[in-house]
Amino acid sequence: MNLRRRLAVEWLAIGLFATCLLVATLFWRGTASFDHLLYDQLSAAQRPPADGDILIVAIDDTSLSALGKWPWDRDIHARLITKLQQKNPRAIAFDILLSEPGPPDADQRLAAAMAAGPAPLYIPLHFNAPGSNGRDYDTILPAPAFAQVAAGIGHVNILFDDDGIVRRTSLCFTPDKGGKTWPHLITRLFESKGQPLSKSECSNPLLIPYAARGSFSEISYADILNGDVPEELVRGKNIIVGATAAGMGDNFPTPNGAGGMLSGVEVMANVLAASRRNDFIRPLPDSWTYALTLAPMWLLMVGFLRFRPRVVLVVSLISLAGILAISIALLFSRLWFPPGAALLGILLVYPLWGWRRLQAMSVFMDSELRALEQSGEVRPLPIPSNQTTDIVGRQSEALASAIDHMRDLRRFVSDTLADLPDPMFVTDPEDRVTLTNKLLNESLEKDISGWLLTDALDLMVVAEQRPAVDHYIGQPQAKGQEYVRFVSPADKTFVMRRSEVRSDSGVLHGHIHYLTDITALAKAERDREEVLQLLSHDMRAPQSSIIALLDGPVDADAKKRIERNARRTIQLAQDFVEIARMGETDFAGEDVLLADLVREAADSLWPLARERGISFSVRDTSDSAFVLAEPESLHRAICNLVDNAIKFSPADAVIGIEIDRQDGANVTVTISDSGDGIEADLLPSLFTRFASTGQHAGRVKGLGLGLAFVHAVITRHNGTVRAGNGDAGGARFSFTLPVA
Amino acid sequence: MRVVIADDEADVVTFLKSIVEELGHIAVSFADGNKLAQALMRETFDLVILDWNIPGKDGIDLLKWMQTALPEHPPVIMMTNRSAKKDISDALNAGADDYITKPEDRSVVAARINAMLRRNAGAGAFDAEAVYGKYHLNRLDQSVTVNGETITMTAKEFELADLFFRNADRTLSRNYIMETIWRTNAVLATRTLDMHISRVRAKLDLQPENGFRIFTVFGYGYRLETITTSN
Repeated sequence: MNLRRRLAVEWLAIGLFATCLLVATLFWRGTASFDHLLYDQLSAAQRPPADGDILIVAIDDTSLSALGKWPWDRDIHARLITKLQQKNPRAIAFDILLSEPGPPDADQRLAAAMAAGPAPLYIPLHFNAPGSNGRDYDTILPAPAFAQVAAGIGHVNILFDDDGIVRRTSLCFTPDKGGKTWPHLITRLFESKGQPLSKSECSNPLLIPYAARGSFSEISYADILNGDVPEELVRGKNIIVGATAAGMGDNFPTPNGAGGMLSGVEVMANVLAASRRNDFIRPLPDSWTYALTLAPMWLLMVGFLRFRPRVVLVVSLISLAGILAISIALLFSRLWFPPGAALLGILLVYPLWGWRRLQAMSVFMDSELRALEQSGEVRPLPIPSNQTTDIVGRQSEALASAIDHMRDLRRFVSDTLADLPDPMFVTDPEDRVTLTNKLLNESLEKDISGWLLTDALDLMVVAEQRPAVDHYIGQPQAKGQEYVRFVSPADKTFVMRRSEVRSDSGVLHGHIHYLTDITALAKAERDREEVLQLLSHDMRAPQSSIIALLDGPVDADAKKRIERNARRTIQLAQDFVEIARMGETDFAGEDVLLADLVREAADSLWPLARERGISFSVRDTSDSAFVLAEPESLHRAICNLVDNAIKFSPADAVIGIEIDRQDGANVTVTISDSGDGIEADLLPSLFTRFASTGQHAGRVKGLGLGLAFVHAVITRHNGTVRAGNGDAGGARFSFTLPVA
Repeated sequence: MRVVIADDEADVVTFLKSIVEELGHIAVSFADGNKLAQALMRETFDLVILDWNIPGKDGIDLLKWMQTALPEHPPVIMMTNRSAKKDISDALNAGADDYITKPEDRSVVAARINAMLRRNAGAGAFDAEAVYGKYHLNRLDQSVTVNGETITMTAKEFELADLFFRNADRTLSRNYIMETIWRTNAVLATRTLDMHISRVRAKLDLQPENGFRIFTVFGYGYRLETITTSN
């Protein structure tokens, strides 16, 4: 299984596992302790102000000591109610259980007081649990005398959370399934204003936003009885009568600061205040809770696939903070989302993923290393030397060694590239040069790494050949043209081949451009062209002349001309062979007495000169100078010069030949004729090979290889050759050689 | 005398035959090296004019074969289209007595054939005086007179000039010249011989106008050529 698939499977498994775990946690409130703690801290930060319209009439320790121990005579209650009603309260919740009948006259007096008004008075009922006859609850109603006169009866149930803290209240209570629903005593009191709570609303337990402890107005029961209370304290108020004395057993732990014990009446006062403000904190619906719990976890899971490990850690921390922030934000809008499970989800999947991924990587590394080993490209895994490192550590070592080896391999490859015998460079798919080799850098005298291909080509190709090169580069590789040939600004001729580099999966990684310096080849090609030119023209021309001459009467003159043509061909062939030979062999000089060589050259052309009455004037001041020469080719070169001089001299002219030792180190041979001289515009190209072919007319025409041969020979002899016109007008050729 | 013309080109054979016959000799031609070799074993000839590129046994092979198989073989003139210095010296060193590069003037070829046959017939007797064209050699006082003017020469220069004149149109190897003049096998500094020849050339003004030219056979030796100005 490849790494990608394995990781995908691991990922899915972790996601499903975490989902199940979180659902279970939510279902069984696995994080209740944490959530309660968090809720207590958060809610403490936003306590509502006390409600001034609520007055607690407390059966406190003062009252107990003034009125005697509990339970009190019902007449006392009757007197209290009468006193209260005289001060015109808005409504009274009388949180004292009156379930069993007392002495009939006292009960009657109390009932009368209750019924007197004007404010409505509500009394509680309570439930015994477990109930008799297998029922969950037995409903214990107040004694009928009171039940009949009370404005309403409500329950005063206290809801304890798992940790025994009172955070919530149910505004309705249904003891029997499908039976009568009892509203809360406070709801009765609240509804008396004409604001009924909806049924569905009342059945859900709501979280009570507690005001600070003791912030509600409280008057001792005894003080009311004594009549010490001014009427304005009571008028228009919602009165809650109940026990607060420590010994009465009606105190409950609430998340209300240190100690946090609140009397039942104070809890009710808070419920009433919340009802009046309508700011109960509602628990988030279950579906939303599940969604909010699972969503961050899955988001993080997706993040695992997207981000690098370091980023994932940051994302995880952000997720944790985000969840808390959401919870706090919801609390401000009176909704409670317990974030424990969601936080747990994040804390769970991060290490889980890290572990599983490491595991997968470990297995992957192992199999890849084994594959590498089998492919034979990498040396075998080293035997772990240090047994104290764990398996992943050892795998890392093996991997490091494999990478080392790969690096060596890469270096070897790049060294090989660098030392390739042809210039080359590599471009990436964006046509940027990524790799060059030594030869390229040398031939460009520049490192073009990092250049754009087009800039690099600007440097390498002369402008007029760019379109051809661009055309070659622009076409797909498969298309026919295998190479492109161009000339560099340095006047070198290159053939460039371009090949694609593709990975096993076919992704284009770039191109390799091979340059082959074919300058020598191109020159050989040009030479061959010249040879063909020579063969097709210079060689043919004399033969054609001979054939033409044979067509007429072959008299003495014709014979002479035929002979001349034939000799010209031989001369040409000989020059040509000599030039070719010089191109192939190294210079092998021997001591040659230059003056004698010149004399013999003149001697050998004497018959030709004599025919036209031409004579030589040899002036030798060389003092028997020897030169290091290949006598045969130097002899021919001098012959060529003398031959030229004869050819272009008028009849009966004198050809000057000077062998002059200018200084100790050099000797110069000058051959001057008295012909028409050389046209100035021909001088520069006089010695290039085959200058005489084709376009040039006049003086140079028909020279064949002669002057090129001279140039080649003298250059080969480490000398210099010059052409010009003499003062008297004739041509003047001279060459200088070092004295041996 | 009987002269063998070994060449497979009919035109060349005709050309050479006419020269040989004009000189008053008998020409026998062969177009195949092996046949020539057979003939050389059976018959006596006075000169072989040998083409390098003859079919059968080629020129150089024939030369080498003659050196070993025929101790008393006739002199050989190699006559070919090959003109490279190395070819010429190779042929001469392989035992050829002279070398002619085609194409060559009729008069030159005739002079060279003549010189070779003359040598074979025994060099001319030692005379006190000899005349070669305008050059009068007096071997007693070792002087040369041209147009009545005596040219002063050293002993060695005279001997060299004398050697050349007596062997006109024959190619002399450098070793032969040095052994003859300096009577030594020791390898003389090449420049010494060159300088002597240069001086002889200059003093006697040996140039075509005066009827002679000294011709250097590169890599082998020298030849004094007589210039015929018949036309």
